[in-house]
Order: sequence, then structure tokens, then C-alpha cells
Amino acid sequence: MAVSLTVNGQQRTLDIESDTPLLWVLRDELKLKGTKFGCGAGLCGACTVHLNGQPVRSCSTPVELADGQTVVTIEGLAPEDQMHDLQKAWVEFGVPQCGYCQSGQIMSAAHLLKINASPSREDIVASLSGNLCRCGTYSRIIAAVESVVEGRQAYDASQEGA
Amino acid sequence: MKMNRRDFLKVSAASSGGLLVSLSLPGCSSLGSGDESNETSWQPNAWLEINRDNEIFFTLARVEMGQGTYTGLTTLIAEELDVHPEAIQPRFAPVATEYRNPEYSLQLTGGSTSVATSWEPLRVAGASARSMLVSAAASIWKVDSRDCSTSDGQVFHPNGSDSLSYGQLVHLAARESAPANPELKPRSEWAYIGKQGRRLDAEAKSTGQPIYGIDVELDGMVYAVVSRSPRHGGRVRSFDDTEARTLLGVLDVFEIDRGVAVVADKYWRARKAQNVLKIEWDNTDALAVSNSEVFAGYYEAANTDAGESERSEGDFDEASEQAERVVEASYEQPYLAHATLEPMNATAHYHDGAMDVWAPTQAPDLGRIAAARSTDLSPDDVTIHTTFLGGGFGRRLSNDYIEEAAAVAYRIRKPVKLIWSREEDTRHDFYRPAMLHRMKASVRGDQVTGWHHQIVGPQILNWYVRNAAPAQYPWAPKFMYDTLGKVGLMAEGIATPKDHSAIEGAIEYPYAVPSLDIRHTHTDPGVPISWWRSVGFSHNGFAVETFMDELAHSLGKDPYQFRRSLIDHEPRHLAVLDRAVTMADWDQPVPEGRGRGLALYRSFGTYVAQVVEASIENGEIRVHRVTCAVDCGQVVNPDIVRDQIEGGIVFGITAALFGKIDFEQGEVQQSNFHDYVLLRNYQLPDITVDIIDSNEAPTGVGEPGVPPVLPALGNALFALTGRRQRQLPLTAEVS
Repeated sequence: MAVSLTVNGQQRTLDIESDTPLLWVLRDELKLKGTKFGCGAGLCGACTVHLNGQPVRSCSTPVELADGQTVVTIEGLAPEDQMHDLQKAWVEFGVPQCGYCQSGQIMSAAHLLKINASPSREDIVASLSGNLCRCGTYSRIIAAVESVVEGRQAYDASQEGA
Repeated sequence: MKMNRRDFLKVSAASSGGLLVSLSLPGCSSLGSGDESNETSWQPNAWLEINRDNEIFFTLARVEMGQGTYTGLTTLIAEELDVHPEAIQPRFAPVATEYRNPEYSLQLTGGSTSVATSWEPLRVAGASARSMLVSAAASIWKVDSRDCSTSDGQVFHPNGSDSLSYGQLVHLAARESAPANPELKPRSEWAYIGKQGRRLDAEAKSTGQPIYGIDVELDGMVYAVVSRSPRHGGRVRSFDDTEARTLLGVLDVFEIDRGVAVVADKYWRARKAQNVLKIEWDNTDALAVSNSEVFAGYYEAANTDAGESERSEGDFDEASEQAERVVEASYEQPYLAHATLEPMNATAHYHDGAMDVWAPTQAPDLGRIAAARSTDLSPDDVTIHTTFLGGGFGRRLSNDYIEEAAAVAYRIRKPVKLIWSREEDTRHDFYRPAMLHRMKASVRGDQVTGWHHQIVGPQILNWYVRNAAPAQYPWAPKFMYDTLGKVGLMAEGIATPKDHSAIEGAIEYPYAVPSLDIRHTHTDPGVPISWWRSVGFSHNGFAVETFMDELAHSLGKDPYQFRRSLIDHEPRHLAVLDRAVTMADWDQPVPEGRGRGLALYRSFGTYVAQVVEASIENGEIRVHRVTCAVDCGQVVNPDIVRDQIEGGIVFGITAALFGKIDFEQGEVQQSNFHDYVLLRNYQLPDITVDIIDSNEAPTGVGEPGVPPVLPALGNALFALTGRRQRQLPLTAEVS
């Protein structure tokens, strides 16, 4: 079928079987390799992208469900040649080990920050528990997200004071 | 480092071509002589290349799978070269003897050896290059090189103001002869070693760069999937691909050694065609074993064969005859899968009589053998391009996926990427072997007089030697591969190292017990096995440290004081033990509803003590807190040490709580993360890791965090419930 998607702000049209998982469309048709294949069953979260602003498991999302919709991947989280606050924090805190799960972790965290500007530690842990990390980087993931929350709160406070 | 994010993969890929040059210069100390005009780049040794644009390339002979070699080894060479680690561009080494791991005479990354074996050579390589650059500058300025200094890639004139960049000196440095014994910086002058330093790969890994094997993209690339026998060793009897071939995009369906390959223009199309493929398996030689038979076989072997003596001190039989009582226990441990988050994959392209393979592999030289084995090519015809690895843990020391990809590429004559599904990855692993441990201790009064440990199970070299032996002799003709493998085994302990995979961590029993009798009863149920993060230590650690806990309780002693009384001849053991219990407030009461357990264990030369606090809530084990002290000698990057130990703890807790691969009639029962479960973020305990300050030579950290946490957690549950668990995984049952 003909599928039309807005991916990272760009209109993309392609002809592909309707049951093809969005993951493989992103990776192999649109050459966006940042979204990872981990389990193919929505269990590990490595393939997490935003579909109309909601985090979804692209490995288990047939592309037809994304037709006419808006997709954001790790490559489009920040404007070209810039990094999202979370990505900066990931570097600063040295979060990644093998790094394979981190695109998915960051996409889940980015959604959390969008719907909740000041999440508690419990909120952070809960919203990231769908993303597996085999290397065990969980504590640094939490610390990195907390640092972004604190940084934004400090910024907001300084703006109010100004 | 101004590493262009978008160009990351290009840099990695281009390295292979560039590095072919350095292969012709093994260990060379000076490149060419005289023809300056062509010298835009200088390679003082197998690791470094510096060009006139001040770019510094470092050939990384150990792969990066999360354990931090990319940062740690670069830091070593940066320190002595006197440049910031971020000014160096690491690239993965091609297959060459210079890049072998001296510990194994193979080019492999494993055994927590990377820093330990690179510590001297890489610092010497950096210092040697620096010395030659300084000499070059001194000769230009006509000053004594000893009066010059270096900083951030510049050589400074004795006057302190004039300077020349390394790039400007490359053409002259190339004419200098390498110093015989370059002087290494004393610890007090280190600017990068032992200091906090960012991971050099963090940005690429946080921005979705295409750096992993599964991300490789070649023009005209097609995709392959392989159906393998559900039972290991089963072969294709016949297959019907009539329907599969009618499906959109399917290019070919054919048999390879391990099963039936489906090739299509897109991955999903290959998967759909695979689903309608009908295969009949010939199970004549297939594995038929079930879990219950594995352990029945182990007990029978244990009863009929006392096994080979691996360490004997004093006379255990006499000690047990004179004992007032003998404490006994048996521990059973299951098969475990590696479950790297990046599934097995490889991309291969056969063209012009040669093959290129891009793969996340821990052993590129074995990968070359694997590709040659499944084609008519010789290893010299195969070029391995190593990528970043989405996890390794020992799984990617086996190159079966390269064997498959090469076989497909050889037939299809197009660039082809093979990707395993998660289910295939779980079911066709080489597993951490299931093991049985039978323990006995003789006791008189409040003293342990004898320790007997019988390890029952297979050893890994038997499985691994198949491609490892030919990789050590790449000139050997292929018809000799199987012979080499067999000779390698026969010569174990003579021509090849003794296989310690079953006994490591048992034979190094450190406690002061007068009689020791440590044995291995070899028995192999035929399940494919391999190295799994911490290998033999992973099961021996549980056996030794659980039984120590049983003995402490049996003698009515505090588990900490009991261990302490038997280890005061080992200062490094003692130091981590004391530190960990202090961190854990061992002398304070345990919080209500929790149990507290301890383990002390040395593996890969690194000393680790851990204290675990756990409870049982709503029928589930909850691990609340892990405190850990580690002594790994001198530390290159403290952040990475802590990360590796913490990651090891998570890996170990995952195994302790969930890890189990079951066989029924030769078929693996687990398939994906719903039934082969990994620890999730909400289950993470509070983990604190303290590093002991040391002047000793550095030892590994990738694996030593794993072994002690399994017994420490089991011991905590015993303290909580009074029920001793002697099988893994642990359960939440209280009686």
C-alpha cells in the first residue's frame, strides 16, 4: 500500500506492505538506524519512537497504523546538529555501556518530560521500566533524567526571579 | 574530540582500508626513510597513526561491547602521548597477529583482560611516539630534547613559548629511531589515568548513530533469515519452498549447513517467507536431552567418578575421618543464555574472489575462520570489519552467525545482512553450562578442618576449539581444521592452555582450611555451551560462597567474622571484606523484614566483596541494597569501573532471580523476554560501589561484579527465611 508519514518533520511516502512493522520502515526504507530491533514483541523497548507524541513500540506497530501520522525518532528528537537535554545528560553522566537500548530509553524519558515537567523519582522509574538494559545502566539513566528535571526547574526558578 | 556524529560509521568503516597499510608495518619504528614529500602520515607502531592535519588515530585491538575499552585503552595511549583522550580517534583493528590478545594467542576480547594486557604495551607505544616527536622538534631547534616538553599535542621549546604541533613533526619523527626503553610517567604526573573522564562513545550512543553490526548498510544489500533445527544437531531432511518462493521480494531459498536460508529484498519479506516454509528435520544426531536427565546424569557421574583432582592439600579423607561431623550440600545451577540486546547478525559480501564481513564479534580472527569454513575461501580471502557490539557477555566469541552469513553471501553473490530474531537468539545460543556442585566440609569443635568440592559438568574448550585452533594457525589448510581442533584438545595443558572453565574460582579457594580436595568430574550432556560473563566463576562463586555461609551458620558464627577469621593471610581479600561490611552497616540491625547476606570472591585477579539486603514481598524477591567493595589494582577510569561492577551486579541478580534455560527433548523452552526475563528498572536495588586505592597492576572489571551477588543474595534470603536454597534461580518460597 502507499503509506505517507511525517518523520522527524519530513513528509515521506513509500509503497510497502501494510503489515510491515514501522521499525523496519524506519530502519531500512528511511535509513534511520537509531531505532533498534531488540525483541520484535514489544517487550524490551529498544524500538521506542513517538507516534503522534505517544511512545510506541515500533517493532509491533504495523506501518498502516502510522499512515498519515507523525513519527519522531531519536534522530529527530533535537533539531539537526543539536542535542536534546536528555542526550546531553546521557553524555555528561556516561550512561551508555553497550548503548544499544539507549535510543529507546531516551525516547521513553523524553515522552515523560513532555507530559510531566517535574516527575518524581518514582515517576521516572515507572515510565522507564518498559525499557530493558542488559548492561545494567539503570541507575545512571535515573540520575541523568533527574539532572535534566533539576536543571529545568532551576532554569524556571531563575526566570521567575528575573 | 570533534568527532562528526554523522560520520561516525564512515570513520569506523574507512579505518579498515586505511589500516591495511599498517599491516605491512608490523611494529615498525620508522616509516620509510627519506622520501618526506609523500609522508602525510606517520605510523610509529601498530597502534598509532598521526597525520599532518594533527589527526591521531588509535587502532583498538579489543572490541567495544559496553565494557569501555574504547575509552579506557585510548586513555592509556593518550596519557603517554600527552594529548587529551578526546583528541584521539579510535578505530577497530583488522585481523592481524599484532592485535592478538597475549593471554590467548587469539584476537579476542574476553576474560576481563583488556586493560591488564594493554596497560604496559599501550603506554609504551604512546611514550615511544612522544619521545620520537620530541627528538624531531629538538633537532629542528638544535636544543637538547630533554629540555623540551609536551602538552596537548604540541612540543614546546625550552624557551617555553615556541612550539610545534605533532602534525608538523610527523615527517621528521618518522626518521627517528624508536627509543629502546621509553620512560613512562610516574603516577603522580598522570593527567587522565585514574581521573574522571567521559566515555568517548557516549555521544554516538546517545544520538542513535549507526555504529552497530545490525546498522551496516551496503548498496544493493538484501536480507537473509535462517530456519534452524529446533533441536541442536538436527539436519534438514527435506524442505518445501513452493509457497515461500511465490511471495513478494523473495530472491532465493536454499539449504546451508545449519538449516534453510531465505533471502529477500527486505527483512520483513524474508521473515514472512520463512513463516510459510515447510521443513522436515532429520533428528538422527539431534540433541534429545531434557533438564531432568541432565541433572540425573550429573548425579550418576558424580557417584561413579570421583573426577580429576584439581587441587589437593593435606588429606581430606583423614580430616573427615577425624571429624566430629561432616557438613554436606549439593548445588544445582541451570543453563543460561547471554541475551545481548542486539540479536546475532552479520553482513557479508562476496565479490571478486574475496569476502568482506561486517560483524559485531568478540573474536574477529575466529570470524575469519568461520567465514572460510562455510565457503571455499581461505582465511586470507576474508576481511572482517568489526563494528560496535550491542552487548557481548561471551556470546560473540562464537561466530556461528558469521558462518551463516558467509555461506549465504557466497551463494547469493550480493551484499547480504543476516538478522536473527529474538526467539532464534534465545534458542540457538551457546549456553552457560548447567553445573552440579557437591560440597563437603569436615568440622572439629568450631574449626573447619577440610573442604571438599566436586564440580560436575562439561568444560567449554571442547566446544570452542573448533574455530579457535585454526585461528591460531591461519596458514593451515582447511582440511586440517578439524584435526587442529582435536589436536588442540589432546594437547590441552601442553600446547594449548589448560581449560579452567569448569574449575576456575573453585581451585583458588582462599580460606585457611588445612585440607583441600577439589575435583572435576567431567560429563557433557551435549548441549552447546560457551563463555558467559564470568564463566566458571559464575557457578563456582555460588557454590563456594553459599557453602561458606552454610558452614558459618552450622558453627553458629557470624558469616562476616567466620570468613574474616579464615582470610587474614590475604590482605586484599580482607580489605574489600572489611570495606563492604562497613558500607553495609553490618554491625547494625537489618531493617525490619529484610535479610542480609555476604559474599567475598576473587575472579580475573579482582577482589570483590558484596553485601545484599533482600526481602520477600507479595510473593516476589525484592533486592533492596547492594554494597560492594572492589580492588582491581590501579584504575584507568573510575566511572567505568563502577559502571562495570554495577552492571555485573545487575547481570548477576538477573541470573539469580530469573535465569534458566530449559531443555525438553533437546528443544529450548524459552524464547523471548517474557519467559527469559531480565531485571527491569523498577527492580533495581540501591547499589554502592567503592574502589580500594591501590598501586598494584590493573586487573579486569567486566566480569568480577557478577559472581558474588548470586551467593550474597541467596545468603540474604536464608538469613530472612531460614530456608537454604540450593538451586538457581532462587524462589520466593519461604518454607
